[in-house]
Amino acid sequence: MKYTYKIKPESLKFLTAISSSEYSGPTLGMGSLIASVFDASLGVVYVGEKANEFHGSSVNLTRKNLDNWNIIHPGLETLKWALKELKAYFPENVALGGIQFNADHVYKENGRVRVLLPEEKGCRVELILREGELVDQLRKEIQLEGYDLAIIGGSQNKRHLAHSIIQYLPSSILVLQKFKPRKKYKLLLLVDDSDATEKSVAWGALIAEKLGWPVHILTVSKTKRFGKGYQGAADMAKTYFDSMNIEIEQSFITGDPVSTFVDFAGDNHMIIMGASTLNPIKQLLFGSKPIKTLARTDVPILIVR
Amino acid sequence: MHISADMIFWVQQKRWLLIAFALGAVLYHFVPGPSGLSAEGYHILIIILMTLILILKEPVPLPAIALQLIFWQVIIGGSTPNEVGSYFMNDAVFFIMGSLMLAVAIVSQGLDKRMALGIIRITGNKTWRIVAGFTVISAILSSFVGPHMVTAMLLPVALTLIRFTPKSAKSTSGLTAALLFSIAYGATIGSIGTPSGGGRNVIMMNYWAEFGSGSLSYLQWMKMVYPMVLIEIPITIFIILKTFPPEMQVLDTAVRRLSVEVAHAGKTSVREIMTVILFALILLSWMTFSEDYGLGSIALIGIFIYMALGLVSWKDLNSSVNWGVILLFGATISIGVQMKNTGGAAWLADLSVGFLQGVIPNIDTLRAVVSVALSGVMSNLLSSSATVAVVGPVVLNLGGDPILLGLASVIASAFGYFTAVAAPACTIIYSSGLVKAPDFLRAGWKMAIMSVVALMLVAFLWWPVLH
Repeated sequence: MKYTYKIKPESLKFLTAISSSEYSGPTLGMGSLIASVFDASLGVVYVGEKANEFHGSSVNLTRKNLDNWNIIHPGLETLKWALKELKAYFPENVALGGIQFNADHVYKENGRVRVLLPEEKGCRVELILREGELVDQLRKEIQLEGYDLAIIGGSQNKRHLAHSIIQYLPSSILVLQKFKPRKKYKLLLLVDDSDATEKSVAWGALIAEKLGWPVHILTVSKTKRFGKGYQGAADMAKTYFDSMNIEIEQSFITGDPVSTFVDFAGDNHMIIMGASTLNPIKQLLFGSKPIKTLARTDVPILIVR
Repeated sequence: MHISADMIFWVQQKRWLLIAFALGAVLYHFVPGPSGLSAEGYHILIIILMTLILILKEPVPLPAIALQLIFWQVIIGGSTPNEVGSYFMNDAVFFIMGSLMLAVAIVSQGLDKRMALGIIRITGNKTWRIVAGFTVISAILSSFVGPHMVTAMLLPVALTLIRFTPKSAKSTSGLTAALLFSIAYGATIGSIGTPSGGGRNVIMMNYWAEFGSGSLSYLQWMKMVYPMVLIEIPITIFIILKTFPPEMQVLDTAVRRLSVEVAHAGKTSVREIMTVILFALILLSWMTFSEDYGLGSIALIGIFIYMALGLVSWKDLNSSVNWGVILLFGATISIGVQMKNTGGAAWLADLSVGFLQGVIPNIDTLRAVVSVALSGVMSNLLSSSATVAVVGPVVLNLGGDPILLGLASVIASAFGYFTAVAAPACTIIYSSGLVKAPDFLRAGWKMAIMSVVALMLVAFLWWPVLH
């Protein structure tokens, strides 16, 4: 298997979804870290609940009146907090550091509200407010801006969400389940003959290099025989990491892939795996390895598309 | 055929639309209507079933739900387009439209700052007195002007008090909930007090007139229902303070800072005086002329004058009123009338009564229970106005006194304390992000029990004296 994928820094766009200053700190922190690792621009989106449409007029009227009292939308309040946090995460970003949040400087477009950052040229940060169902809104945002990676926090309702997030978000996805910002994770890179393996390897290698996390490359086959595709992908991954002088451990295990991934990951790995190439109907009916893995594991997981 | 993730996502997002229409198609083509129900009545009930699924699951925007109500009535409901159109616009829809526009006209004047000052002067800085003050003011004002306007004006006052409280949001969650629920529940219990307190009240008055069930004047309505509001106010204050005990007994700093903030509003302007006088005239006209001209027409006259005097612009009205909701109310009322005309409402009423007759032998009690239970449950799922639009024709076909049963139904439709969707005031405080769905359950069940008891007291002890 010949390696052809190349990361193009500065052309990548990442999106971090936040819900509140109380719970989204780790997600925003990791989003910023990953964005800096890849030298990507970062969109921060707050997705709030949409008010019941029956009372839409009343809610709109109240919000207009709240503006007169200088009380801003709770979503804008969260984005204001996010901007403050981002300044701390990116002290070298001078353009970002000079920005003051102004709730009056917002622009309604394409079913969303965008905070106009006066000196945004060069700061490479977008602040977006959306209201509605989480997956639907993230999908619209990703399609609108062409994000390469969506970073979201773990959810108590993850078994239900796992399917929708993986099947319907048209970008790579990093789900930060029980993520601890100060913990040093190991990377568990799952390698097989899927199309996304090349990209997974490149992304995994860059994260490992920049963050100094140890890497374990795992190839799992249901039968004792590892086919050419699996063997070739594993060799390609090893060659790639060798070329970057990153030490790795590598294992070949026979068994149920999802159970093996979950058991191997334990509670101290971040899993990196490629998105499924199964057709959407099969994924809907029977699930896929990423969907089942996300539903069963409690560690952060990056699914590369 | 290649099936993409986009197509599956669309199906997943719209599955309730597909389920609703598929169910409707199966019932229409393959399942014969029950005996005792006309074919037209059966088809109208199929349309209502599809609509309820769409309203509950919202796979399409509400205005789209209104449109399908209109075209299904023509296609399978046996109605002509002109028939549907003739029921579509009536005084209830005029009133809902006028009431939403009046709210925009009045809220935009900044009178809330003066109201805040007035409340604080009366209540002082003790927390329980502020909670009581918010509840009383919300209930009384909402009974005349509707809960949406009152909540829109009082929510900033409460949020400003919370913002000026020298403690973190986490450590004042009880105080925050107490202040917000005092506005929401105060406005909700008050909204039954007079016909102009809510769109649902006018929808029921419209049904009484449409179905030849009699009528109540503005003042007669007040006489019958206002005692219930007065009973509920102190108990609501008690429930809120017990359910959400405020962490601070005195809001000294917050009240002082709020006073300074609102003092910047300056002297009362001519615009503000004109706004208040005009609204007082509208209120007086509702009380005295609504039997002749209708509540809706009077509200529209008021809006006309506000616009003529330059107190509100069409641009503001147009951008702040959700016209889709008005479309939906028109469509819902038109299907309600068709439900009655085709015998669908009578059949549903008989079915409900027959179902519970074994449990409740007394027919009057049974009718009252059906009326209250149907409205109370449905209002927590839909909105209170939509509940009355759909349930009203059924209740008025239960037999017994349509005025009393209609009143009971309207009052019970205000018992939407459990969720954020039922009452506009609840939706508004929920949209602040400071109260969560479980908070509504925590206080809601106590409010529901209290309200049912208050309704029984009024219905069994007060109404027989008057009626």
